[in-house]
Amino acid sequence: MITVETLKEYGADVNQGLTRCAGNEALYLRLVQMILTELSSETLGDALQNGDLEKAFEAAHKLKGGVCNLALTPIADPLCELTELLRNKTPGDYGALYSRIVDKTKELSSL
Amino acid sequence: MAGQSKFRISEEKKRVLLVEDEIVNQEILKEILGDTYEVIIAETGEEALKIIEERYETLSIVLLDLNLPGIKGIDVLGRIKSNPAYVNLPVIVMTSDSEAEVECLMLGAIDFIPKPYPAPKVILARILRTVELSEDRETLRLTERDHLTGLYNKDFFYRYAAQLDLYHKDTPTDAIVFDVNHFHTINDRYGKTRGDEILKLIADKALQFVKENGGIACRSGADTFMIYCTHRPDYQSVMDRLSVCPDGDDSGKSRIRMRMGVYADADKTLDIERRFDRAKMAADTVRDHLTDPIAIFDHSMREEEILAEQLIDDFPAAINEKQFAVFYQPKFNVRGDVPVLTSAEALVRWNHPKLGMVSPGTFIPLFEKNGLIQTLDKYVWSETASKIREWKDRLNVSLPVSVNVSRVDLFDPELPEKLLDIVKDSGVSTEDLLLEITESAYTEKSETVISAVESLRGCGFRIEMDDFGSGYSSLSMLSDMPVDALKLDMLFIRSAFKERKDTRLLEAMIGLAKSFEVPTIAEGVETEEQFLNLKRMGCDIIQGYYFSRPLPVADFERFITENKKA
Repeated sequence: MITVETLKEYGADVNQGLTRCAGNEALYLRLVQMILTELSSETLGDALQNGDLEKAFEAAHKLKGGVCNLALTPIADPLCELTELLRNKTPGDYGALYSRIVDKTKELSSL
Repeated sequence: MAGQSKFRISEEKKRVLLVEDEIVNQEILKEILGDTYEVIIAETGEEALKIIEERYETLSIVLLDLNLPGIKGIDVLGRIKSNPAYVNLPVIVMTSDSEAEVECLMLGAIDFIPKPYPAPKVILARILRTVELSEDRETLRLTERDHLTGLYNKDFFYRYAAQLDLYHKDTPTDAIVFDVNHFHTINDRYGKTRGDEILKLIADKALQFVKENGGIACRSGADTFMIYCTHRPDYQSVMDRLSVCPDGDDSGKSRIRMRMGVYADADKTLDIERRFDRAKMAADTVRDHLTDPIAIFDHSMREEEILAEQLIDDFPAAINEKQFAVFYQPKFNVRGDVPVLTSAEALVRWNHPKLGMVSPGTFIPLFEKNGLIQTLDKYVWSETASKIREWKDRLNVSLPVSVNVSRVDLFDPELPEKLLDIVKDSGVSTEDLLLEITESAYTEKSETVISAVESLRGCGFRIEMDDFGSGYSSLSMLSDMPVDALKLDMLFIRSAFKERKDTRLLEAMIGLAKSFEVPTIAEGVETEEQFLNLKRMGCDIIQGYYFSRPLPVADFERFITENKKA
């Protein structure tokens, strides 16, 4: 179950995320659930699969905004790295970064 | 009153348009801002532009994410800032991309909120501050400018002019005031809409002028404009630049008549308002001057105005304290071999306690303008009537004296009663007090004047038409005019006896008066030559330095006594 405690154990910077939600714990947890739904969407994965880097960047950038604001550090780190690579269309191992994101998302949803 | 809006501006929540496609971010900002603002969400650039188009007047601020699906945030910003209707709507950009900041600033974004978001208090404070600043700016925009013409209004104009002085202490400057002659007639002739358009045209020209030459311009009143600019050598070119045609066609010959007053190379130690007062003072001297509608302030104008104000202030005390002295100038009947003292004219002087003897040429025109002349006239009539009575009793002399009746007195329906009261109270008759009415009074609203004069004559007063020949009364009018004597204008006599003597017109005038069986009086007669010629021409009565200057009452009494003995 996703709680402030389990999120802390997971590695999220809960204090920062809560501060951004004006200390509203219920809102914070609700938003974590929301971002989890977004992270489970296939949009980013499909775009990467199809080599549509523009679309992949848009999807990654959008997710990054929410994930970083909620301070979900384990996902935020690979997601930021991926977004920057995509922004500059730098060739790199997008697949590996995406896998880390997927793994950490699964980990989050199984809390 | 549940469910009903309180209809008070102060209780309406200000509106924030949040342009953000990420739902988590939307929710966070709603949580932070929701208590203070009504948050309207747009998830795409297209949606944002539509909301702005429909509701920009009630939006306080736009929070704009740069990475949007469809139209990008930066393009939304560009479109907002390029549309004059929304250009003043403040936009805060939200981005994690610090490189985009400069571009957004150049496009007109007012501030940034970084991503991930800073503490809620920081976000709220930035938005509050931005909305406040933008409202102040809007208030300034609405108040500093005149709504019709877009020029500064007077208060802000003065403020900015004073600021210009701070930056350009040693630059010589001009204060210029100009307005449209009888602007209300333009509204009457062409309609108010066209009148407003004309004002806008003039304002545009003034603005163009200051754009090219430096300086600032304002509309200070209905049809009055002011320009503060660097000193220039001529002002006709400025006037030419500003003038417009009533039909809006600048090539047309008919131009709207304006007048301009300039305080050139203005004294910067004076308040800016005082400098423009001086320009206005100059402008006031050229109302209706069609050929020379530009006046440059000089210090005599200011001195004249100050003197005028002082005289007006001092007038009531002068009446109460009898500072006005009545002088008397004798009039002689010259029809016989020996001139006979037949009457006199009462002439007023002001023995001012501080200024000494003030010439009637200074205060009469002033009091004619502001109506004080009625009080002064009445004072002179009473003083004169009581002297006439006194001379009858003390000197055993019955001498009629003429007094001036000003044009404005003739429009007073109670004039006959007032004069009759004075005559009665003093114990003299209407035949003792002769009334001099200037010819020019007859030319304006002549019917009213003629009927007033008729009613005075009906009461038994005799009327002398003063300054005859100076006005424009047609000769044919003479037959309708109820007068008992014609008093030839002094300047008329002087010009007849100038170096190249030409008395033909004078002779014709006297002849004309004779044919109407009206006696003529010549005033301003100074020499024996003038006296003899006038007598020869058939002039009946003569007044002037040749016989005597106007005398203070004591001297005049001596004059009468000696004359009686002779």
